Amino acid sequence: MKKEDTVKLISAEGFEFVVHKDAAMVSQTIRNMLTSPGGFAETEHGEVTFPEISTTILEKICKYFYWNLQFASGKQTEFHIEPELTLELMMAANYLHT
Amino acid sequence: MMGGICSRKRDQPVIEEGGVSRVVSGRYGKSSSSKWLGTSSFRSTVEQSPGVAGICPSLLELCISKICRDIDKYSSLSLLPRDVSQQIFNELVSSQSLTHDSLQAFRDCALEDVCLGEYPSVNDNWMDAICSQGSSLLSVDLSGSEVTDAGLDLLKDCSNLQSLTYNYCDHVSEHGLKHISGLSNLKCLSFKRSSAISAEGMHAFSSLLNLEKLDLERCPEIHGGFVHLKGLMKLKSLNVRCCKCVTDSDLKAISGLTNLNELQISNCNITDSGISYLKGLQKLNMLNLEGCNVTSACLESISALVALAYLNLNRCSLSDEGCDKFSGLTNLKVLSLGFNSITDACLVHLKGLTKLESLNLDSCKIGDEGLASLAGSVLLKNLELSDTEVGSNGIRHLSGLKNLENLNLSFTLVTDGSLKKLSGLTSLKSLNLDARQITDAGLAAITGLTKLTHLDLFGARISDSGANSLKHFKNLQSLEICGGGLTDAGVKNLKDLVCLTWLNLSQNCNLTDKSLEVISGLTALVSLNISNSRITNEGLQYLKPLKNLRSLTLESSKVTASEIRNLQFAALPNLVSFRPE
Repeated sequence: MKKEDTVKLISAEGFEFVVHKDAAMVSQTIRNMLTSPGGFAETEHGEVTFPEISTTILEKICKYFYWNLQFASGKQTEFHIEPELTLELMMAANYLHT
Repeated sequence: MMGGICSRKRDQPVIEEGGVSRVVSGRYGKSSSSKWLGTSSFRSTVEQSPGVAGICPSLLELCISKICRDIDKYSSLSLLPRDVSQQIFNELVSSQSLTHDSLQAFRDCALEDVCLGEYPSVNDNWMDAICSQGSSLLSVDLSGSEVTDAGLDLLKDCSNLQSLTYNYCDHVSEHGLKHISGLSNLKCLSFKRSSAISAEGMHAFSSLLNLEKLDLERCPEIHGGFVHLKGLMKLKSLNVRCCKCVTDSDLKAISGLTNLNELQISNCNITDSGISYLKGLQKLNMLNLEGCNVTSACLESISALVALAYLNLNRCSLSDEGCDKFSGLTNLKVLSLGFNSITDACLVHLKGLTKLESLNLDSCKIGDEGLASLAGSVLLKNLELSDTEVGSNGIRHLSGLKNLENLNLSFTLVTDGSLKKLSGLTSLKSLNLDARQITDAGLAAITGLTKLTHLDLFGARISDSGANSLKHFKNLQSLEICGGGLTDAGVKNLKDLVCLTWLNLSQNCNLTDKSLEVISGLTALVSLNISNSRITNEGLQYLKPLKNLRSLTLESSKVTASEIRNLQFAALPNLVSFRPE
């Protein structure tokens, strides 16, 4: 992926996930951050930090982003959610509007 | 016999008070009622997609779905933000998986809406957890439940309750209603068809000074209770449809509720005298008197209600005399005069109603001349002329009504030749030409009406040749051709009508399984009727791709109920209604 097509999503523990912009913008919250004309300070460098989202959850969210794009393009599979992650994942999804 | 022989008079697009035209299926040779097909929250059995088929479920939806499946693992959801727990609650209810036990996880969740209308097994034991929402609870629906006085008592913890719905309420007494009287924030109250509501019991409503909407439709015991509503000056909407016990004296009691905006007293025991009490209701915007024993004399009183925009006088005992009073009601948008003995003379008085959008003249004694009076009503969108003597001469008066969207000419005298006068009405979406004298030629004359979504040719004599015209109607969602003239060759013309959701080809007795091959590609179909045909069990396989199918009628064909059941089990999870059964 070219750098300008990517964004970096950083978890509470500082773990960095580099994902394609299209994937990240599955989240309405991230989409707003990246496209808002005023610009959010954190996104000037194409980086967004989520101090409330743990690494495991953020990783799962990134997997969802790609699953979503795949689903939309016609390849419809199951998205498995580990039971121990469900509540935290749901809260993060609610926050990220995704 | 099901799938009857001749085209009987069926219910037509009904022009409701709200101006919304809704097609209601009749009983003979027709598919079952569409009312429940669209609105029921039917869950597809595909586990993964809680959303609409084809749209990617959000991560939130997926998580909520998973929590609902594992709901027994969670003893309390009160730490979740309210909007999330509310969504989980709603999902459990709509998937019919909420139980008394899992309900306990929702204690103190600050839920705002508890919608358990007609949910199975709701009783007093549920009320504790429901009322623990306390001052957060804004609306609750307990319709059809077994909640008694004791259960209603707990609602006093919910002081901010704005809306209480408890239709089909038979387990509550006057005593129980008293528990509601303290809920002073109530704006909406509904007790449809509830024998529990007596005139004395209505005393409990007199303290609900913020009440804006009261629904007591079909309550048999409310006569005399309206006196308790006298102080409810904020009341805007009152619905007592089909209350045979409501009489003129009840209207006297509400004559002072001058903020009333909407009054529905259809099928009550009202006469002209009762209507005279309504003269002071100057803000009345909607008045429904359908089926009341009133005559044109009541128009004198009604003419004082200059704000009226919606007036329903279907099935009253109106005659021409007194209809001059219509001319002052210049704010009228929707006027229903169906099934009255009015003639062309009455229509003259409608000429000045320039805001008129919907007019129902079903089964009135009007004819071609009368339509001349309507030629200037250019805002007309919906026109109901079924069962009148309107014919080819009259149709030309409609050619200037460029905003017309819904036109019903069933059982009139219009002929093929005159239909070309409709060809300029390019806004037409719904057209009913159910009349035996309409044939292929008539259909050919209207192929320019490409915006049509609903076309009813039930009893018209359409043959394969006429079916050729159908391909012009690419936006067609609903089609009925039951005149008996179609064969498999004609049905081929339906191949590209992929927007079809509703298709009735019953009584075309020469249709065979070959027709189903064509219909196989119409995957948007929700309702299909090919009764009285030669369809066999072998043809059912072609229906497998119709995943949206909810209703299938194949009466008087060679199809058996057990084979349909097999089809449902194997391929059509959404199929809820089928005949034979």
